Amino acid sequence: MNKLILRNIAIISALFIVTFSTMLITNYFQVRGTTPLQTEVVETLKQLNDENNGNPALQEQIRQLDLLARKAYFVRIDHLMVGVYILLGMLAVFLVSARLYFVRDKNIPLKAIDQMDEWIIKSKARKYVGWIASGIAAIALIFVVLSSPYLTTTEAAPKTEEGATAAILPETENEPEQINPTDSSAIETAEADSSKLPADSVSKQIPVSKITHNAFRGNNSNGITSAKGVPVKWDLGGGTHIAWKHDIPRSGFNSPVINGNKVFISGADEKARELYCYDLTTGEQLWTLAAVNIPGSPFKMPETTEDTGLAASTVATNGKQVCAIFASGDLICADMEGKKLWAKNLGMPDNHYGYASSLLSFGNLLIVQYDNQNSPKVIALDMATGAERWSKSRKEKVTWSSPIIAYVNNKPQLVLMGNPAITAYNPNNGEQLWRVECLSGEVGSSACSSNGVVYGASEYATLVAINATDGTVLWEANDYLPEVSSPVATKDFVYLATSYGTVASYDSKTGKLGKVHDFSGSQFYSSPIIAEGKIFLFSNDGKMHVFSADAEFKLLQSFETGENTFATPAFTDNKIVVRTEKSIYCVTAN
Amino acid sequence: MKNKIVLMCLFLLQLGQGVAQNRFPKPDFESGYKYPEIHYAVSHEDLLVIVDIFLLVLLMGIVSWAVIKKRTRKPIIWVSVISVAYFGFFRHGCVCSIGSIQNIALALVDSTYVLPLSVLLFFILPVLFAFLFGRVFCAGVCPFGALQELVHIKSYKLPRTLSIILGMIPWIYLIFALLYAITRTSFIICHFDPFVGFFRLGGDIGMILFGAVLLILALFVGRPFCRFMCPYGALLSLFSSVSIWKIRLTDKSCINCELCHNACPVDAIRPPYTNKVNESRERGVKRLLNYFVLLPLMILCGAFLMRLVSNELSRSNKDVRLYEMVMQHETNPGEVLSVELEAFYGQGGVINELAEKAEKVQSDYNFYATIAGILIGLVIGITLIELSVKRTRKLYEIDHAACVGCARCFSYCPQYKIGNESGNTSL
Repeated sequence: MNKLILRNIAIISALFIVTFSTMLITNYFQVRGTTPLQTEVVETLKQLNDENNGNPALQEQIRQLDLLARKAYFVRIDHLMVGVYILLGMLAVFLVSARLYFVRDKNIPLKAIDQMDEWIIKSKARKYVGWIASGIAAIALIFVVLSSPYLTTTEAAPKTEEGATAAILPETENEPEQINPTDSSAIETAEADSSKLPADSVSKQIPVSKITHNAFRGNNSNGITSAKGVPVKWDLGGGTHIAWKHDIPRSGFNSPVINGNKVFISGADEKARELYCYDLTTGEQLWTLAAVNIPGSPFKMPETTEDTGLAASTVATNGKQVCAIFASGDLICADMEGKKLWAKNLGMPDNHYGYASSLLSFGNLLIVQYDNQNSPKVIALDMATGAERWSKSRKEKVTWSSPIIAYVNNKPQLVLMGNPAITAYNPNNGEQLWRVECLSGEVGSSACSSNGVVYGASEYATLVAINATDGTVLWEANDYLPEVSSPVATKDFVYLATSYGTVASYDSKTGKLGKVHDFSGSQFYSSPIIAEGKIFLFSNDGKMHVFSADAEFKLLQSFETGENTFATPAFTDNKIVVRTEKSIYCVTAN
Repeated sequence: MKNKIVLMCLFLLQLGQGVAQNRFPKPDFESGYKYPEIHYAVSHEDLLVIVDIFLLVLLMGIVSWAVIKKRTRKPIIWVSVISVAYFGFFRHGCVCSIGSIQNIALALVDSTYVLPLSVLLFFILPVLFAFLFGRVFCAGVCPFGALQELVHIKSYKLPRTLSIILGMIPWIYLIFALLYAITRTSFIICHFDPFVGFFRLGGDIGMILFGAVLLILALFVGRPFCRFMCPYGALLSLFSSVSIWKIRLTDKSCINCELCHNACPVDAIRPPYTNKVNESRERGVKRLLNYFVLLPLMILCGAFLMRLVSNELSRSNKDVRLYEMVMQHETNPGEVLSVELEAFYGQGGVINELAEKAEKVQSDYNFYATIAGILIGLVIGITLIELSVKRTRKLYEIDHAACVGCARCFSYCPQYKIGNESGNTSL
C-alpha cells in the first residue's frame, strides 16, 4: 500500500482517537457522577411515602421513576461501551497503519544518543542514585517526624500540668484551658495555663488516650471499654499504682466519666448540687459548676433514701459538652471548660427512693430516662442548647434504670428498661422499635447488648435475651438476678452480679447458667466492666474482683481497696478512675 | 496482509464479548417482590486452567525455539497476538505470572493460604524457562509485554542514565508487593495493574489512564512497563542473566557495526567499552571498596527507616484501618456510621478482637518492613557497586538480564543476514 496513504490513515485515526478518548472520558465522569435514584424528586417522594406510611399510588409512582432512572443509566452505560469498542477498533487501525508505514524503515540512528563515555554515564547514574536514595531517606524521616503523635500533641495543646506530666485534650486542642471568670455559676476553677508552667514540662507532655468513657458504664452505657493497658491490681492504702486521690466535696452515688484528660462526677446535698471536673493526669480539680439559678428548680429538695441521694445519676459528655442531672430534676450542661451553657428543671421527679437514671450522650443528643410516677417519659435534648429534639411518654412505672445504645443491624437502638417492659427506640427521633413486657417490681439495673441481642435483668423478675431485630424473646433465666448492678455481655456470655454476693455467667445463646462465684457477705451495686478480656467488678465493701471474660470465668484477682465503692469505675488507656463513698482516685498502670 | 486482516477481525470479535458488570442498588422499600435466586454460570474453569498452562508452555517453547534456535522474530509477533487475545482479552489478564509473586509470598508465610496449582505453575514455569533460555516469557507470552510489543512502532532511546535509575523501580516495587502480600494487606500488583482495565474493558479510570499513558509511551519507547515497573521482570532478570542457553546475535564474529545496539528497543545491548576517562585504577578500586564498606550501613539505614514508617504503612491494612475507624467512632459515638463501621457493628464485631488483629498486623509490619528495608538498602547498594565497576568489552554484547527476547536485533545484524538472506525481516 502506498506509504502516503498509510501515513494519512495513521494521522486521521490518531486524531480520531484523541478526540474520541476525550469525549469518552468526559462521558465517563458524567455517568459516574450520576446517582439516578437519588434525584430530588425521588427522594421527596420517598420521604412522602415514609410519612404517609406506605401509600400504594405513591409507591407505584416511585417505582416508575425508579425504572426510568435505571433505564436511562444503563442506556448511558451501553453507549459508553459502544464508544470503547469503536475506540479499540480505531486504535487497531492506527497501529496497523503506523506499523506498515514504518515497516521498511530500519531503526538506524546516525549517532548514539549518549555520546559520552560509558564510565561517565555510570558516574552520573551513581551520583543520581545517591541523591535519590538520600532524598527518599530524608522524605521518610520527615514523614515519620510529621506523623509522630508526640509532635502532633505537643503542637496542638497549649496546656500542661504541673509536675512531670501533662496531657492534651483532643477535643479542645486549640482552645486555652480556662474558665470564664464572669460566669457566676462557676464556683471553683483551676487554670491550667501553659504560660504559668515551667518550660521543661512542655517537653514532657504525654498524649491523652482517645479512649473515652462518656457515660455510666462507658460509651453507649454498654459496660465494655476498648481501653488498653488497664491495671489489674493496686493498693489504695499504700499508694501503689495510685496516681492521685481526692475527697469529693459533696456526696453522690454516680460514677465517674472520662473524656480526654478530664474526669467528671457530680455531688449534691441539701445545700448545693454540683458538677465537678478533675484533671485525669494530676487529679487537680479543674472546675466546679453549681446548679443554681435554674427556673423551676424546687426550693426544697426531694426526700431520698440514704443509698440513693440527690446525685445518683451519672453525668454524660460528648467531648464538647458535659451534663449532669440531680434528684431535684435540675439538669445543667457546661462546655468542657466549665462554662455553663444551659440549665433547666425537668419537673420534680416523683420517685420514692430518689431519681437515679443516668444520662446518656448520643452524638449531640442527651438522652434522659425520666420514668417517674407522674409522667414517665424519655427525652432527647440538644446537648449544646438544651432544646428538646424529641420526647416520648412511656407506659412504665417508676424506674431507676439507665438508657443504653445497642447497635443492631448496623443501626443504633436506644434501649430502656422499665416496669413492665424493655423498650427500644430510634435514638434519632424517638420512634418505638419494639417493646417486650417481661419485667416487674423495682427495676434498677440497666440493659446491655451484644451481637444484636439485648439482655435485661431485674431482681424478682427475669434475665431475658431479646433479639433486637424484631423484639422476640430468645430465652429467659432466673437463677441469679441483679438488683442494682447491670449485666454485661460478650458474644458468648452474659455476666451479672447480684446484691446478695453472687456473680454468675450465662451462655448468651441458650441462657444456660455457667460458672457462679459466691462472695458471701458481699453486695454488688457497682456494675461490671469488660476491659481487655477481663471483667472488673467492685463489691460494695470496696473489694475489686477481676474475672476472665470467657467460658472459664476465672477469678483472676480479688483485693481490698479499703473504701466502700458503689459506683462503677471509668476506664481509659492505662487508667481506671474510681469513685468511692467519699473520694475519687485514679489507678494507673505506670 | 490477508492474514493480518483475518486476525484483526478475530481480535475485534473477541473484544466484543467483554461485558462490563455494573452494580446497581435494589429499590429501598419493600414491595412484596421476591428476588429470584441468583445462579452464576460456571464456566469450564478447570478446562481453561489446563488450556492456560498448556498454552503458556507452548508459547514459551515457541519463543525459545525462535530466539535460541532460529533467531527469527516472526513467531514472536504471532505469539504476542495470541497472548494478548487469549491471556489478555479472553482470560482478562488473570492468572498472571506477575501477580502470582504475591500468592507465592503469602503461601510461604501463611500455611492456611491455599495456593492454587495453576498460580504456582504460572509463577514457576516462566522462571524455569528464564533459567534455561532467558526471558522468553517476557518476549511475547506475557500479555503485558506482548501488548507493548504490538503497539511499538518506532524506537527512540532513553538516556542510559535515566534507564539505570528507572531500572531500580521494579525491585523496589517487588519488595513492597511482597511486604503488602505477606501482611495480607493488599495485592498491590493487581490493584495497580495498568493494563487489566484494557483487557476487561472496564476498571479504575485512574489505572486505565495510566495504562493509556504507558501504551502511548510504548509506541516510541521499548516496553516502558517491562523495563521500569514490572516486578516479575526484575525477578526473571536474575535467572536470565545466568541462563543455560543464552540468546546470541550471530554465530559468526561480531564486526562491531553498532546496528544491533541501535535496533534494541530495551537498551539491552552493551557497546564495546574502553576506558577513556582519566581516573586512576587506585581511585576506582578505593571507591568500590568504599561502597562495599557502606553496603551494610545502607542496609541498616534501610531497615531502620522502614521500621520507623512501618506503623504508618500498616494503616493500609483493612484491620488496622477499621480499628482506627472504630476507635474514632467510640470517641464520637453519635457520628454517622460509615459502611465499614456498619458492617463491623452489624456483624457483632468485638473491639478487643479487632484490636488484637490490628496489633498482630502492626507487629507483622514491624518485622517485615524491616526486612523490606534491608532489601531496599541492598538494592541501592548493589546498584551503586555495579555502577562502580569498569568492564572492558571488545564487542557488542547482550545484557541477558535486560534482554526481553523480542528478537528485533537479529534482522539488523549483517553477519546474521549473510546466512539468512531469505529471511523475512518485514516485522
